[in-house]
Amino acid sequence: MPQDMPPSGGYEPVQYRRNLPVRGFRPAYYLLGVAGVMVYGFYRFGKGIREQNELAREKMWSRIHLIPLLQAEEDRDQVRRFYSQQALEKELLGAETKAYNSDRFVRPTYAVTPSRVTK
Amino acid sequence: MAAREPRFNQHVLIDTTPMPANIPKVEEIGASSAPLMSASYFIGARCQPYNDDFMKCKTEANGRGEVECLKEGRKVTRCAASVLDDINKSCLEEFRQHWTCLDNNNQQLWQCRKLERGLNKCVFDNLKLEKTIPGTPANETPVHLRKKQIFAHNAFSQ
Repeated sequence: MPQDMPPSGGYEPVQYRRNLPVRGFRPAYYLLGVAGVMVYGFYRFGKGIREQNELAREKMWSRIHLIPLLQAEEDRDQVRRFYSQQALEKELLGAETKAYNSDRFVRPTYAVTPSRVTK
Repeated sequence: MAAREPRFNQHVLIDTTPMPANIPKVEEIGASSAPLMSASYFIGARCQPYNDDFMKCKTEANGRGEVECLKEGRKVTRCAASVLDDINKSCLEEFRQHWTCLDNNNQQLWQCRKLERGLNKCVFDNLKLEKTIPGTPANETPVHLRKKQIFAHNAFSQ
């Protein structure tokens, strides 16, 4: 029995590669595109940080300009209450005593409740 | 200023005793936070020396500043009151619009640039007080003069 031999001229080439159309761009372009988006994003981000810093500076200075005013008002109120408490102490106890061994101004922790409510 | 006011749940207890007569009286500002914020840079522009004086007095008083710096404090309050008075006299409409805007926008200055520009111009024309933010980078437009506020709700209508 004669052995099977390849056909004359050899076999046809085997199609192992799929014959599909290639979609889209080359990968390098996608990489470049993503890099571009990110660079723009970081640019905007940096701009935003700079702007935020400046806005924070603006707010800070607006408060710096106001602090002495508010502090002065608060101090006056504290001093008024302090003198009134001293006068009350003198009226009730007959003498002014010092609770602290220093002449610093100390905000009172406790308030004396008046016997009759004034509003 | 940081300490808490005492609170009572039954009734309101306020010590209403006035200041002793030997201490000169001064009328308090009585403005809420938005007008103060709106006017802060003009207060700073006119009252910087008084403010610095008061703060220096407080620093150097070694904890007795509350009683010893009353005089400086009165100057600070009178100066700020004069600024507010002048703004009210000459730029009331712009001022009111700006602080209302601040009130409505959580006191974010960058939401109200359009109104602020009008206020700044009016105040500069009438009172010669200019808003300058110290310490800004020299090569940039100061943030309150920029046409586009990128953090505003509507960035292009500022």
